[in-house]
Amino acid sequence: MPTAIVATGLSKTYDVKVRDPGIRGALAALARPRYRQVRAVDDVSFAIERGDAVAFLGPNGAGKTTTLKMLTGLLFPSSGRAQVAGCDPWTGGNAFRQRIAFVLGNKQQLLWDLPPEETFRLNRAIYGVSAADYTTRRAELVELLVLGDLIDKPARQLSLGERMKCELAAALLHQPEVLFLDEPTLGLDLEAQQTIRTFLGEYRRRHGATILLTSHYMADVTALASRVLIINRGRLLYDGELSELVARIAPIKRIELVLSETVSRARLEEYGTVAHYAPPRATLEVPRELATAASTRLLTDLEVADLSIQDPPIEEVIRIAFGETEHDVLAEPEPVARTDVRRAPP
Amino acid sequence: MSRVATRSAFATFRDQYAELMRSAFLIDLQYRASIAIWLLWGITEPIISLGIWWSIAAGGAVDGYTREDFARYFFGVALVNQATLSWDAWNIDRWIREGEMNFRLTRPIAPIHEAIADNIAYKAPTAVIILTAWIGAATFWPAVRIPFEPGRWALAIIAIVLAAAIRFLNGYATGLLAFWTTRATALVELQFGLSLFLSGRIAPLSLLPPQVVRAAEYLWFPYVLSFPVEVLTGTVTTGGQYARGFGGQAIWLAIWLLLYLLVWTRGRRRYGAVGG
Repeated sequence: MPTAIVATGLSKTYDVKVRDPGIRGALAALARPRYRQVRAVDDVSFAIERGDAVAFLGPNGAGKTTTLKMLTGLLFPSSGRAQVAGCDPWTGGNAFRQRIAFVLGNKQQLLWDLPPEETFRLNRAIYGVSAADYTTRRAELVELLVLGDLIDKPARQLSLGERMKCELAAALLHQPEVLFLDEPTLGLDLEAQQTIRTFLGEYRRRHGATILLTSHYMADVTALASRVLIINRGRLLYDGELSELVARIAPIKRIELVLSETVSRARLEEYGTVAHYAPPRATLEVPRELATAASTRLLTDLEVADLSIQDPPIEEVIRIAFGETEHDVLAEPEPVARTDVRRAPP
Repeated sequence: MSRVATRSAFATFRDQYAELMRSAFLIDLQYRASIAIWLLWGITEPIISLGIWWSIAAGGAVDGYTREDFARYFFGVALVNQATLSWDAWNIDRWIREGEMNFRLTRPIAPIHEAIADNIAYKAPTAVIILTAWIGAATFWPAVRIPFEPGRWALAIIAIVLAAAIRFLNGYATGLLAFWTTRATALVELQFGLSLFLSGRIAPLSLLPPQVVRAAEYLWFPYVLSFPVEVLTGTVTTGGQYARGFGGQAIWLAIWLLLYLLVWTRGRRRYGAVGG
């Protein structure tokens, strides 16, 4: 099967302006700017077969978006090579752009003041989609994403979830071979997240599209991708099956509680490990397979105002998987060891 | 085979422009109240200038300009300025600062085409509104009538289109400096200040001190407003004047086109290196 994405030793180093605090520091930086090199992506290599769905996981600032921006041709790598849909992203030109789509969860390309239908029309023309293909694909996307009459309302009147569904439809009208999604479910309610996950799975099955997505949510990954890439501080830490990763980490669920009565920490320990205790709120960690039973017992034994079962946050998964302290993982990416401070070129 | 391919590439391009203009026009319709206010402001400025020169010329012609000449001149300024406005620097600045450039760079069409389509969609209808108002005024105010000379009108249209292209590329290329600096729009405002005098917006150029006029001739400003207005109102008459005017327009169009290409390729490279 042909390979859809190949990244070989991709690295991206940024020059970040260094400035001492205060007005003096600001003036000094004006007169004599100093730069520090920060390695956002460090020697990342992987290959994705056509039709696969792969999730890119990592905390904020890990280098996920930078990698996606390199693979879509927006950023040039400092070193390394890539091939996407048979093209070089940096020299592939319009032929390359025709074969990909890049959806950023926090940015929109829908025309804000007009109904999504107008963005669809515009993208049909921009990507040179024939009238017949447009009609078929539009109908399919409207059906799969349950867009209904959303496409006739101005985009600014749509909810975040409705807008994201329309963003996806607009991005898929030219039927890209490779779909890059940066946090597609960010900030969406559970129902909208679910619709988008189901849609992406179905779309991939029907059209054999390759999907590379970044996410903060474990649920995105479990629903969509069997393979995950974990990146932290620019380095690829894990590339493999999701199930293997779950086996490798302690497979736990988190039970978040809001109690209506005062319950001691010791009492809660009977149901699982107390990860967080701040009455009336508490968080318990229990083995995945015991989560339902523990919840039932909690609801029967105690006065519970609210209870929810959640996956551990991705930061936690990485922490557990790689034995790092939470503090380290959540910290801002640090400059590389061979940080050098130099003056700006004239 | 290749002829078919060429034709279909052209058809795609035409289709892209049609849809880009359509959506720009639909967005303008959403902002019709704002557009009416901008349009009113665009007309107010030349009308104020006209009011001032009208009273100055009460005692007789100023440097050969009668009250009627001033009236025709500033009606021309209102029309030509509307047709050649440039706001693109602010758009590009926003695209770059707020990450809206990203999706534009992943589409198979250069972002400049969206800006050109946006310009056409805005200027064509608003220029028609000003032209209609001018024709309306001319029915009861003979001073603003311009003689019926289709040849000169055609040349005026060409001069206006060239002026619009120069100002567009000037604004777009300056806006692209946002790839490097957060002060790109300040540069545009500086140029705007200069253009008030040097393009003939507040007074016909020939009324300015000769040193200022000479300085202006080395820049693009006279060719983007004064020249098209004077072609339209009939002040430009000799072949030499036409040649100098169109020659200046051609040179400045070429210069700004080259500057745009330079800033675009280098800016794109820089954006690729450091991100938005």
